[in-house]
Amino acid sequence: MSDLATKRVLLVGVGGLGAPAAIVLARAGVGTIGIADADAVELSNLHRQILFEDADVGSPKVDAARDAIPRWAGDARPFVVVHRTRLLPDNARQIVREYDLVVEGSDNFATKFMTADACALERVAVVHGSAVRWHGTAFAVAATGGPCYRCLFEDIPHEHAPSCAEAGVMGPVVGIVAALQADLALRLLAGEPVAGDLVTFDGKTDVHRRHRVARRDDCPLCGTARIQTPIRTVDAARYAAPSCDVSA
Amino acid sequence: METRVRIPAPLRTLTGGKEEILAAGGTLGELIEDMEKNHPGIRDRLLDEKGVRRFVNIYVGEEDTRFLGGLKATVKAGDEVTIVPAIAGGR
Repeated sequence: MSDLATKRVLLVGVGGLGAPAAIVLARAGVGTIGIADADAVELSNLHRQILFEDADVGSPKVDAARDAIPRWAGDARPFVVVHRTRLLPDNARQIVREYDLVVEGSDNFATKFMTADACALERVAVVHGSAVRWHGTAFAVAATGGPCYRCLFEDIPHEHAPSCAEAGVMGPVVGIVAALQADLALRLLAGEPVAGDLVTFDGKTDVHRRHRVARRDDCPLCGTARIQTPIRTVDAARYAAPSCDVSA
Repeated sequence: METRVRIPAPLRTLTGGKEEILAAGGTLGELIEDMEKNHPGIRDRLLDEKGVRRFVNIYVGEEDTRFLGGLKATVKAGDEVTIVPAIAGGR
């Protein structure tokens, strides 16, 4: 994997998923690691966001991560690029196009779908990750396009969303999903045929499962069928936040 | 004929915490109706008026039922059905 030193990977969110993934990617020898996040480190983050230490509490995550990643990377010495913002409709395409691959570890559906759209439009590979309570998923999408996140989940859930960011996470479960994301990212960068792999992890039974996701012909983002409303832009109106169903 | 159905953690409030349930039916649609009898409310979490909810994926083995005919997808004894809902989260 020596050519990893020439690769550029962006972490969308450096939280429970992005922070552990950053350590793995840095140690593996990824040459440039970008971080897009607008939050500060909180004490309640530390049990799972293992990149950070007590002294980082209160600091912007991007600053703490910029300092911490080289410490964790040993001899690999990655170059760290800071984006002091969340990924937003008006910056998403410009930011992701600077990278070979995006590790998406955001905590809300709007950012997940927006990242999927921006990466597909800019032809950037992306590995999506999610974890809520005991359930986690990781999904790899190639730079060449589908199957994509919209082949899998179509659109932002507006009713009966099975879970939500506020439902809480288990530290070990997010750590495992982050490691899965890093694994899929490194394999995508190495040219292995993992695009379309959806890996689920069940923290109650400690069972992993892999499913193959197929491209939907009528996917608005990557489908080949002629449809009325293909996605050609990252338009803010498309990412209106759904109500949160925390009873799930 | 019964098929094993794997229930993801977010839906186990409807199955009394069970990770796996048995359901009868020759198609995915029949299977879900049978699940609803024993676990009321689960159909509504999986289906809307158009079929399987768009943010829910149901697999027979490794195969996505979207490409096996949706609710008409055939299920056989010994098949393993897995439900994968969309989730956000990971801060």
